[in-house]
Amino acid sequence: MRVKNIAVFGYNPMSFELIKCLDLEQHEVVIVDQGHENLITAADLGFTVIETDYRNDDNLEEVGIGRHIDVLFCFFEEDSNNLFLTISARAMDKKLEIISIVDDPESADKLLVAGANKIIDPYQICGRKIYQLIKNPDIADVLDHTIFGRHDLNTAEIEIPPDSPLENTNASQLQLNSRYNLILIAIVDKELGKELHFTIGEQDHKLDAGDILIVLGPSRQIRAFKKEVELQT
Amino acid sequence: MLTRLIIHFAYLLKTSSRYQITKKFAFNLLENPGSRLKRHFDLFMILLVMLSVFLLIYEINNPPIPYSEWFENIVVVVFIIEYISRGWLYSDSHKILIEHYERAQYLGIKFQLRKPLTTIFSSKLRYIFSPYAIIDLMAILPSYWPLRILRIFLVFRLFKLVRYSHSVKLFTEVLANKRFELFTLAMFIGFWLFISSTAIYMFENEPVGGQVRHLFDALYWSVVTMSTVGYGDITPQTPGGRIVALTLIIIGVGVLSFFTSIIVTAFTEKMEELRENRTFSEVENLDNFIIICGYGRVGQEVAKHMDKDKQAYVIIDSSEENFLLARRNNCLAIKNDASKNEVLLNAGINKGAKAVLCTTGNDVTNVYVTLTSRHLNPEIKIISRANRQENIKKLKQVGADFIVQPFEISGLLAAEYVGQPVASQAIFGIINEEKNILMETILVPENSDIENVKIKDINFEKRRLILIGIISNKKIHCKRNNRYKVKNRQFYFNPGEEFLLQAKDILVLLGRKYSIDYFKDQIERSSLVIK
Repeated sequence: MRVKNIAVFGYNPMSFELIKCLDLEQHEVVIVDQGHENLITAADLGFTVIETDYRNDDNLEEVGIGRHIDVLFCFFEEDSNNLFLTISARAMDKKLEIISIVDDPESADKLLVAGANKIIDPYQICGRKIYQLIKNPDIADVLDHTIFGRHDLNTAEIEIPPDSPLENTNASQLQLNSRYNLILIAIVDKELGKELHFTIGEQDHKLDAGDILIVLGPSRQIRAFKKEVELQT
Repeated sequence: MLTRLIIHFAYLLKTSSRYQITKKFAFNLLENPGSRLKRHFDLFMILLVMLSVFLLIYEINNPPIPYSEWFENIVVVVFIIEYISRGWLYSDSHKILIEHYERAQYLGIKFQLRKPLTTIFSSKLRYIFSPYAIIDLMAILPSYWPLRILRIFLVFRLFKLVRYSHSVKLFTEVLANKRFELFTLAMFIGFWLFISSTAIYMFENEPVGGQVRHLFDALYWSVVTMSTVGYGDITPQTPGGRIVALTLIIIGVGVLSFFTSIIVTAFTEKMEELRENRTFSEVENLDNFIIICGYGRVGQEVAKHMDKDKQAYVIIDSSEENFLLARRNNCLAIKNDASKNEVLLNAGINKGAKAVLCTTGNDVTNVYVTLTSRHLNPEIKIISRANRQENIKKLKQVGADFIVQPFEISGLLAAEYVGQPVASQAIFGIINEEKNILMETILVPENSDIENVKIKDINFEKRRLILIGIISNKKIHCKRNNRYKVKNRQFYFNPGEEFLLQAKDILVLLGRKYSIDYFKDQIERSSLVIK
């Protein structure tokens, strides 16, 4: 995987959790904040930090937006700050991946309009999870184990490269669950656009290069399957 | 001999279930504020009082209606029965007797009947002199023949309404709460009335040429003037008298506004409590509900889901802003500190609540509320939010069953997005139940079509479902691979085609809501068919 340059704006408990989840060996992460004290704690933990005022475009450029930064996380606590940062960054770089958190659900649409690629509403997700724990704790557990990858089980996306042995086969012929111990959940079929289709037996997809398979399973078997897919014929 | 007989009788009452039931019934009828029976009884008594007073007023100027005597007698009998029953309920005489007797036995001294009897007597006396009992008695007494002259006091029956109507009760309570202020005001009024009465009598007595004949006239004039009523039948003629009048009028305006403000503030203070009481009584009618402590963003989100599923809940939040928001959203809400025992008890933690959620943004509060809830109810399910990693252990320690970290989940999802944008989209889709696609569990019922059936024979694909795994604690499966421990059971990921389903196994499925519901329906129906 290519090394990604990631800038995290705003240092707080939430961005701390994010940085913990990011693979620091694979990605270059830099934390940007205005508060001096916040940054001292972050620097103490060994993170790269920059103290600057995000409201100034020159400062943003210094951080590397519009140049080498690939992914921008807007993790300020105030929606207005995130919105402002999103607008400034989008103006400087059209291709930048911008991910922002949102406090007030009303701001979600505004952030999308401003140019964010992904909105994360931590409170909504948390509320949903709490409710799930009441209604059906089993599902909450299984979700924890599978898609949140608490254990060995993981969700992974696998793109079919050109000239892969899988090209021109149908999704139903893959037999992933018996052959690889993986479960195919969803497919992005290029012929049908960028949209994600859950493979719940409504439609059979012909696989081409560039299609993406979303699979669920133990990490070892995911790696094995990946290898096979990428096998050049 | 008599002593032994009485003690024997007391024990008989204590063990008699019929006596207990009767007493319980009487308690529910007369005193228990929560019982429905009391509400009906109160309504009936209000009607009775109104009718009897109406009859009294009617008969002042009209010939007596036939049967009115009968009606009056019935009313009085009902009142007497009520009066005696309340006296009976006021204290448990047999318990006092037994207590004294057992103490005497324990200490090895001779039991004397005199002591408990005085205790019983004094407690009953306390009842007789309690304000409500006096009112009750006054409603009865004037009907006694030799006291017929006092018939006019039958109007006192209206006071009985205080007992039955909650709002009238509230009014008296409000006045009682403001005792000190009202007393001050009364002193102030008395002082000025005294001064002005003497002054006006000095300035305006008849020898001087005024209209005030004696001190009572002076007092009458002062009250009429001070209350700003001012009939004008007695008017000051001399300049001195007029100055008194001017002063008194100004003081009167002040006194009136002061009085009004006392009453108004008393009511506004009481209003909050009243509203809370209503919430409590509404909570009491609920069953299987959930207590949400903290109506911040997370609490709101949870409440929204519950609204959708018609799950009853009650919110506790100490912040004014959140409380008002909850009210606006038509939620049952209590504005108070959820870490107090009393608040949680009032919210029904031991009366029908099935779970407590600690969803405040403050971990300290969450820990405290969790601890309090666990202390009050060892059985209840507690789900708590933790904002910092290091607090998870503490929450577990104080008894939380589940802990949710909003920041951790979002961090995970955000990180996932960097590495695998498409996979994260699928994850978002599943947890947000987008396009009606969700993960759901289905229990394999006993004697159903899918019990003892192999996975390959169910054909999930045709049902448009994906089988993710099976949760089970059956020993029969435990040789299989792909096992993951989930709590005290096993989760079998991607069970093979030969997997034999057992009753009580739980299928974990992914699919559209209607396919899942349909499948569930079919299974349940098949389990009902007798084979």
